[in-house]
Amino acid sequence: MPEIGRLATCLALLFAVYAVAASIGGALRRRGQLVRSGEHAAYVVFGLVLAAAAILVRALLQHDFSLEYVAAYSSSTLPAHYAFAALWGGQKGSLLFWALLLSGFSAVVHLQNRQKNRELMPWVTATLMTVAAFFLSLCVFVTDPFERMPVPATEGRDLNPLLQNYWMMIHPPSLYLGYVSASVPFAFAIAALVAGRLGDQWIRTTRRWALFSWAFLSLGNLLGARWAYEVLGWGGYWAWDPVENAAFMPWLVSTAYLHSVMIQEKKDMLRVWNMVLVLLTFSLTIFGTFLTRSGVISSVHSFTQSGLGPFFIAFLLLVLTVGGALLVYRLPELRTQATVESFLSRESAFLFNNLVLVGIAFATFWGTVFPVLSEWVRGVKITVGPPFFNRVNAPLGIALLFLAGVGPIIAWRRASPKNLRRAFVAPVTTGLVAAAVLALAGVPLGYAHTTFALACFVLATVVQEFWRGMRARQAMLGEGPARALGRLVGKNRRRYGGYIVHVGIVAIFVGIAASNAFRIESTQALRPGETMDVGKFTLRYDRIATEEDAHLSRVTALVSVSAGGTPLGTLGPEKRFYKKPQQPTTEVAIRPTLSEDLYLVLGSYDPPSGVATIQAYVNPLVAWLWIGGLLMGIGTVITMWPSALERRAPAYELGGAEVAAD
Amino acid sequence: MLNKRRFIVGAALIAAAVSYLVYAGIRTSSMYYFELEEFLAQRDAHPGESMRVKGWVRPGSIRWDPQTNDLAFELARQDGSDPVPVAYRGILPDMFAAGREVVVEGRYGGGALAARQILTSCPSKYEPADARTAETPS
Repeated sequence: MPEIGRLATCLALLFAVYAVAASIGGALRRRGQLVRSGEHAAYVVFGLVLAAAAILVRALLQHDFSLEYVAAYSSSTLPAHYAFAALWGGQKGSLLFWALLLSGFSAVVHLQNRQKNRELMPWVTATLMTVAAFFLSLCVFVTDPFERMPVPATEGRDLNPLLQNYWMMIHPPSLYLGYVSASVPFAFAIAALVAGRLGDQWIRTTRRWALFSWAFLSLGNLLGARWAYEVLGWGGYWAWDPVENAAFMPWLVSTAYLHSVMIQEKKDMLRVWNMVLVLLTFSLTIFGTFLTRSGVISSVHSFTQSGLGPFFIAFLLLVLTVGGALLVYRLPELRTQATVESFLSRESAFLFNNLVLVGIAFATFWGTVFPVLSEWVRGVKITVGPPFFNRVNAPLGIALLFLAGVGPIIAWRRASPKNLRRAFVAPVTTGLVAAAVLALAGVPLGYAHTTFALACFVLATVVQEFWRGMRARQAMLGEGPARALGRLVGKNRRRYGGYIVHVGIVAIFVGIAASNAFRIESTQALRPGETMDVGKFTLRYDRIATEEDAHLSRVTALVSVSAGGTPLGTLGPEKRFYKKPQQPTTEVAIRPTLSEDLYLVLGSYDPPSGVATIQAYVNPLVAWLWIGGLLMGIGTVITMWPSALERRAPAYELGGAEVAAD
Repeated sequence: MLNKRRFIVGAALIAAAVSYLVYAGIRTSSMYYFELEEFLAQRDAHPGESMRVKGWVRPGSIRWDPQTNDLAFELARQDGSDPVPVAYRGILPDMFAAGREVVVEGRYGGGALAARQILTSCPSKYEPADARTAETPS
């Protein structure tokens, strides 16, 4: 069976290469048949990769330890759902998974565009299949997931216990969905450049793909944060680890893109910039995969290095060279006459929002690659830690939050004094009042204080927008408040969905600022019956409970929690000792509320004396990160939901004259 | 065209601000990352500076007091030679064990490393995730 899997991968590579050649040949010689043939080959690639992945999953589920990959990432006692998740648990499987998602997305793209965008499609096929061919050739030549062991193992080494966790079931696939779907806007951008169709047709066609990619990148980042928070046990959720940055950077650039395309659609500006952002987003997804999979930079954290590095660097250079060359070639045609007229305009607010987002991405990139750069330039490795990223990104984040309030309500072209008054008096007043009240309430001035005040400002802009829209409908159409609000959102999904996403972002900003600035931490070694205080909580360490089964043994500290004399229940932070591989893990106990999380770690336990070290954190407002994520999800779904018009007339997106007769 | 120039100035200001923040950030929060060999060669050149040193936990050198959370061990080459004493107080990372590869973050002085943080990684198996296991931001 594994031989068939290997065969399928090899064939998929051949078909992908054929698809590239056929599409390009068909486009150049204007042979529709050849182009179609290339598209069919792309479907075949998907079928073959799907078969290969299914065979690998089957081997994982059936514990076929004659395969090196299965033996390395699963064991006979591993529950089935984790065995399935081992598909993306290791390097080889995850590259196959990448290829699977990419060929799946490309199949969807080809289905969607059977009758549309015919001028672009050959180049879209060629681009997507080039990317597929890259990942498939890694699977064939470098990291064969179907490699046999010289001697079949009798038992696997098991999936790392830290990954045996439900967040890890959904975090990597979510991130991969976001990474891989960024290939679609990239492919259309390349196609637009090659075919010289530089209007916003490619942007309209890929709007949902870009949103889809962005949404899954957001989700992936948040799930990763959640996993770190619950599993890693250091009380935080984000450590600016290279692997985290790898997922954060494409998200930033993709966010910038989602904003700047609005300017192109409305004002026909920023065409070049949008191309740059799409190329950059895609390059960063490849770079991100490279970071996570090569270990070149994360050597501080994951010490093994694999031989993948050069391949990724070469591919990245290819992408940047081809993309950059095409961009330069089309530069004269991409230029438009439109310019931003005034500093005080929506165009300019969006432009600055873009610059700040790209600035954060740049700073993060710089900090991430600094060890490698310093080694090249000076011969010594110099690392920067979380303080660097916090110090640099906090002020930029604050600027971004401010712009998130300004952008949606300032007038296009040039804001008149009247517009400024009408739009800003209420929100600015709200922000200032909030700043004063918070200062009086004892919140120290600083980043957190500024963030809270700006959050109130942004929320006030959103509320004002909803309120005014609703009132206008009520006045003009005589609708009741609930109906008016519903219709308002339903008729302007992109706009109001976007506002809801902004509310989610505000919640996340508040959560991050509060948990960074006002976190309380205390570590104490306690004898049974002793208590410790952390923040408003009193913790009494009652006793240790132990439990053992075939897979692991656990030591749980039973801790009674009370606040101001009121008992709040018992928490049980644990140490687990997995038997295979022999490894202890920390299971934190969290008491989450909307205002703060009480977060307990059992640091160590000394059986003879019964002394347990309890590490306790009070993390304020962390829950708002997850709530914010949920709001972002709801907002994104609203933005993407097709309107009645689009549902009735699928040709709406064709852009009229650009429908090509094939 | 006046406006265009103003925008370039605005964009340049943002770029300058980002560059300055990066520059200042790196100046204030960067530290050396040494392999054990490099550390042995250069340790006296950087007294009292923050640094990260990668090495192996010498088997038999671990002294751990679970009541006070004081940890003492020796960082050495993989074969156990050239040991450097390390002192640390805090929670023992999950992955910390004799013979494992670790990165010690701290300062060197008086012939020993005073560790602020110990970073560990899962041996032999690459995972982006488990790499961060014991990391606690300072």
